[in-house]
Amino acid sequence: MLKYLLFEGGLYRHEMIIEYLEDVGGFVVQKNVAGLDLIMNLAVPEEELSGLQLIVQELKGKLTVAPLIGIEVAVVAPTLSRHHLPHPSCDVAENLRRHGAKTNIIGLARGVGQKIVHSSPKERELLEEHDIAVFTLGNFEHCLSNFKPLLFKELAIPVIVTGGPFLEGIPGAQGYVGGIGRYPERARTGDMIDKLRSVSELAGKVVDERRRELDLDPLVVDPIVVKEEVERQIPESKEALSPNPVTLKIDGLRIKLPFDDYRERVAAVVVEGRKLSDVATIKKSLMRNYILVKMLPESMFQ
Amino acid sequence: MRIYIKPEDPVFIISLRYREYVGRNTIGELASVEERVSGVKISLDSEIDLGDTLKSLWDMYGRDRVEQAGRMDIMVTGVDPEALKKIKIRDKAIDVGGKINELATRIIPEGFRVRTVIRRKNMLTIIAAEDPIRDEWKKVAEKLEAEIAC
Repeated sequence: MLKYLLFEGGLYRHEMIIEYLEDVGGFVVQKNVAGLDLIMNLAVPEEELSGLQLIVQELKGKLTVAPLIGIEVAVVAPTLSRHHLPHPSCDVAENLRRHGAKTNIIGLARGVGQKIVHSSPKERELLEEHDIAVFTLGNFEHCLSNFKPLLFKELAIPVIVTGGPFLEGIPGAQGYVGGIGRYPERARTGDMIDKLRSVSELAGKVVDERRRELDLDPLVVDPIVVKEEVERQIPESKEALSPNPVTLKIDGLRIKLPFDDYRERVAAVVVEGRKLSDVATIKKSLMRNYILVKMLPESMFQ
Repeated sequence: MRIYIKPEDPVFIISLRYREYVGRNTIGELASVEERVSGVKISLDSEIDLGDTLKSLWDMYGRDRVEQAGRMDIMVTGVDPEALKKIKIRDKAIDVGGKINELATRIIPEGFRVRTVIRRKNMLTIIAAEDPIRDEWKKVAEKLEAEIAC
């Protein structure tokens, strides 16, 4: 099983890490260079981790386990108004990104109130394109427990909820973090940042669980291998202006190229001797007509 | 300010009392102006006027001659203090009522879309709910108003 790690260090001699990963069958998921500093999201086979740690030690870098690497998270606000944005949603999203996740902030059309609250089928479909959804809700316990579960009870992906009151849990959600309700300024205090961190930690646990479930019926090809092949065989995918143009997901990819123009080329990508269209479903994303690739499990071929 | 919240009904009542800002417009009315060797020093009485004053002075004399010396102090070089005192920093007085209204709208939870607004002199009360406003809520609003009335 691959272990996902965040490397923070200098640019100097970082090729050593890349070469080591190539030798042991690891991957660089994302690489960000800022001046002479380098942040890399890495995936390395668990048994080869000690070798990588030695190299990182030699380079005087820092290696942290980041289970959220390769995960696309939807941070969902009840609406796009000033009441719920930007602070709670952006703070939660920023902390998730610090732990390696790729986040998209989504505002629902009618996620507010007790009587009008609902999510449309299209919204749910859009949310289900992600690996996890984090709902950033408000301050009223009565509202949260009795009315808001409507927003996510039909979602097929794990849901984490944040809200003001400290509750044991919320029906229909995998996890709940209290103390993050509506607030009108950026989270600056240590106390608030700890709460944001606990959202990321909870998301990490949910993802680990999802990965373990996937291990019971593994995917035909690991999405990270597909990502490498897509980037190699369709070089335009690396040049798209969108952030993280080939986004890794737990069971597939989001390729940020127009579906109509690139569908056939993506379908024709050869992965481990097979055409991608034979081992994955390729469909149009509801987000800007991007391409969604969902890998099929091995059980489909037995 | 008083707020009454009952999410079970659901109802949200906010009552605010505010002081109207007196409409003084010229720098002479808003600040003390003092001539010094290095230029003219303007000491504002209230920070609320700082933005408008700086903007007017920059428009008139340019950024090189106007310098913010402190939280409420501005230094202007090469100007006549008497002329400076006559400068109008804004056309209208500040609309405090409008700003208070905006504040209340931001505080009221978004789902509470049925609203009744009660305006009195220097007082604003909004009853917000999801159902038509009930008489009992109006009575609660009156009680809140009475609590903050001077």
